Amino acid sequence: MSLRSLLRKEVYWSRRNALALLLVLLLLPTAFAASSVLFQDVIPRDTPVAVVPQSDDVGELDLVPVHVGMGTYSDPVSVDSTEAALRQLEREQVYAVVEVPPNIDRSGTDATFRLYVDGTMVPFKEPSATIASIMEDRLDAALAADVTLERVVVGNDHDLSAYLLPIALVALIMLFAFTYVPYNLAQESVVMDRIRLESSLEALVGAKLIFFTALMLVPIVAFQGAVVGIDAAASVSFEHVTALAPGAVLALLLTFVALAALSMAVMVLTRFGTTGRFVNVVLLMAVAGFSGLAYPVGYFSPVRKAIVRAMPTHYATIVPRSSMLRGSSLATFADWLLGLAAVALVALLVLELTIAYDRRWR
Amino acid sequence: MSELALADVTKRYGDVVALDGVSLSIDRSTFHCLLGPNGSGKTTTIRLLLGLERPTAGRVVRDGVRLGSGFQQPSFYPSLTVRENLAVFATAVDGAHDEWRERLVSELGLDPVLGRPAADLSGGFARKLDLALALLGRPDVVFLDEPLGALDDVSTARILPFLAGYCEAGNAVVVSTHQADAFEPYLDRVTVLHEGQVLDDRDRADLDLAADESLQSRYVEAILQREADDRGEHPEPDDLD
Repeated sequence: MSLRSLLRKEVYWSRRNALALLLVLLLLPTAFAASSVLFQDVIPRDTPVAVVPQSDDVGELDLVPVHVGMGTYSDPVSVDSTEAALRQLEREQVYAVVEVPPNIDRSGTDATFRLYVDGTMVPFKEPSATIASIMEDRLDAALAADVTLERVVVGNDHDLSAYLLPIALVALIMLFAFTYVPYNLAQESVVMDRIRLESSLEALVGAKLIFFTALMLVPIVAFQGAVVGIDAAASVSFEHVTALAPGAVLALLLTFVALAALSMAVMVLTRFGTTGRFVNVVLLMAVAGFSGLAYPVGYFSPVRKAIVRAMPTHYATIVPRSSMLRGSSLATFADWLLGLAAVALVALLVLELTIAYDRRWR
Repeated sequence: MSELALADVTKRYGDVVALDGVSLSIDRSTFHCLLGPNGSGKTTTIRLLLGLERPTAGRVVRDGVRLGSGFQQPSFYPSLTVRENLAVFATAVDGAHDEWRERLVSELGLDPVLGRPAADLSGGFARKLDLALALLGRPDVVFLDEPLGALDDVSTARILPFLAGYCEAGNAVVVSTHQADAFEPYLDRVTVLHEGQVLDDRDRADLDLAADESLQSRYVEAILQREADDRGEHPEPDDLD
């Protein structure tokens, strides 16, 4: 065949897959361009930080100047006690805790602030030394007391290598759910009539969900093996890293069920075609881009922060990170795990509804 | 009414009317042929009876009857071997006992390709595998859409008596085809479809064919006559040759 005839074939193919191409070549770049406005800053400006009284002598009014002093580079929120604030720090609801001492308005007295940062939250822990220095200068200039600021790193102290491990696992789960699962389901289209006749679409997607969810244990175990191996080789220290932490495993599997059910629903709605696979790639980019996988929320913009906090996958990232690196217990994240289970159930319901819709309109 | 039937069924795909007021029943112990040219509605009829499509209007009766089907495009897992395909679908259907599975493999001549990936099968073996999967659960009614496509004459000569025997055991076999010659000796009932409508539906015994007349020629004549009537023409007998 000549080049011309093969080019003609490409034109015909494009016409048949106009929707998919529209999605990839028009909507996706437009979405990228539009979403760039959500990345306004490269330094933390809107990162949630807890402000707590050091003792009962510190009143609400004493916290106000601290709020004002910190407002330009963070989003300070008042919390009643250091214990509650540290719990929020473990759950990444805040990324630092500032403990306010008494008598900050008395001239000539020493006021020692404490800035608690988490040893696991590497992207915040390292800049926090600079932040602490700036904070100390600003508070000293603004308050009557002689201010000193003590930076305290709480929990296990990790480096970037360890920090990236749970992120890689979550990313892998997302990638598998939004690319391999739709690909695998599309391969079944040749046998779909026989499945519908002798079994059901529900049984097919159910079998796939069970099998692939169980399969997701393999990378988790592989990560655990890699952690032990690398730690033994002592090239990088992975002390206090447990990939097989129950909270991590549960969160990752629930997340996979939810995302895989969603990607399958897209495939059923698009009759297992090319468009469905493209839509799933777009979903993968959206979910990965707006789950706050690596950076603390508030690093890039307030709008992005609001979106990230609304994404279930954001919490599906924090739970494995805390379980694997901080050694957090299941109870610490019981509410979020229940939330993830609820999201997975809703995704399964959506999948069932798309199957019912498909059956209804055949 | 039969356990399996279409009652005044219409099926539309957008503006296209695939079936228009079709009534049809499938009876046990019957070798039934849906005969018609391309686009006459045979496959749509089968898909409606199987429950793979819903009618736009009318009613489909399917009273607890177990159905099996061979599809126009052979339907199996290409990446699995023939043996694996049989094993997978045997667990999906009732009645797929090992003994029956082995008999199907033997009757359909699948032994030489049991270990071969289904994707590598020739058209004829692909058709045989599809046929084996259709019969695997010993369905009360088995639909076979153009079942002889790509099959050689020797295979056809083996498979058709086997299907006739399956009917005699109290089941129904429904074949869809535009070429009835090979089936003719085995058929009990013939339904001719044309442009989504039933042109003729009667027992083979009631067809009253002339000594030199075949079912195929009768059907072609009927279709041409209908088309001429639709155009308001009256074809000369020579036109039908």
